[in-house]
Amino acid sequence: MLPSDHFVRFYNEVFKFLDERGDLPNYYRAISRDQEAHCLNLFREKGLQGVYEYYQKIRLEENCDMDLRMLKNPDRLVLFMRKCPSLGKVVDNDAGPCPKYCLHCPGWTIPLYQKAGLADEYNLVALDDPRCVETIYAPGANRPSRVFMAPIDDEGNVVGPETRFPKLSM
Amino acid sequence: MLRYQESNELHRDFHGSTNLAIHYLAENYGVEAAKGVLRKTGREVYKSIHDKLAAGDDSELVEHLSWFANREGARYRMEVAPGEVVFEMLECPAIHHMRRLGIAPDELTCLQTSEINAGMCEGTPWESSLEILGEGHCIQRFKKVRGQRSEKVKV
Repeated sequence: MLPSDHFVRFYNEVFKFLDERGDLPNYYRAISRDQEAHCLNLFREKGLQGVYEYYQKIRLEENCDMDLRMLKNPDRLVLFMRKCPSLGKVVDNDAGPCPKYCLHCPGWTIPLYQKAGLADEYNLVALDDPRCVETIYAPGANRPSRVFMAPIDDEGNVVGPETRFPKLSM
Repeated sequence: MLRYQESNELHRDFHGSTNLAIHYLAENYGVEAAKGVLRKTGREVYKSIHDKLAAGDDSELVEHLSWFANREGARYRMEVAPGEVVFEMLECPAIHHMRRLGIAPDELTCLQTSEINAGMCEGTPWESSLEILGEGHCIQRFKKVRGQRSEKVKV
């Protein structure tokens, strides 16, 4: 048995293997399809509240230092990961991190959000920074999902220019 | 002393994620590729255990097996003798949780055990073996083979 505590370090090795073969986008799609069993009905039926409930569970089980805020006008959920336990373990790892490790999160979540009618603006901040900010919009917000990197302050507010991914790897 | 010693909450759904990853690798690149990634995980992620085994010290392996079996609430027995560790998993928490998720274990599931154990032993005087006795029930053996080093597999 691989301990569930150590899954992300194995995941990291899977990403290294697939990245060498240019296959990360297909794997993200496979993860996303698999996650539909856990999340899709919840997200479709409850919208942002469903996403909030899902991440409450994740916050506890994955020991995340994370803020979740429901905001109005427009309706959105802001998820500010102050310290990602997943990237934290991958960095604290004798095998070393896959430089693209963080990309898996938007890679599997955005297709799932889109199937539930939600849109996500995903600020990865930097690929070696264990912080990120997602702004997830309710159906009808008429905003395209996108992934970018931009520096943030201690509250998760963008404080510098964005770097966009020229071609999103998913 | 353990290199990794988590003590906070568990996200058991990662057992399903491990199974998905093994299946993805096996279905797209072949079973040997899946084994290769798992062996590399055993050799490099668990470098500390690997390096101690290379030096003839099984203490971290023994502590690792018991720490994480206890964390996951496993029923198990372990016997440790000079040059041999026998770990019998009586009810595997990974398979138990996969069943809860509606995932049926198959012939690929236990590669995570056989190949990670093999990776920990690669290039050391130790060898591992896995005997599956039934669903969720296995015996994992680690045996020191004097003057012999297990084969190193390159990914």
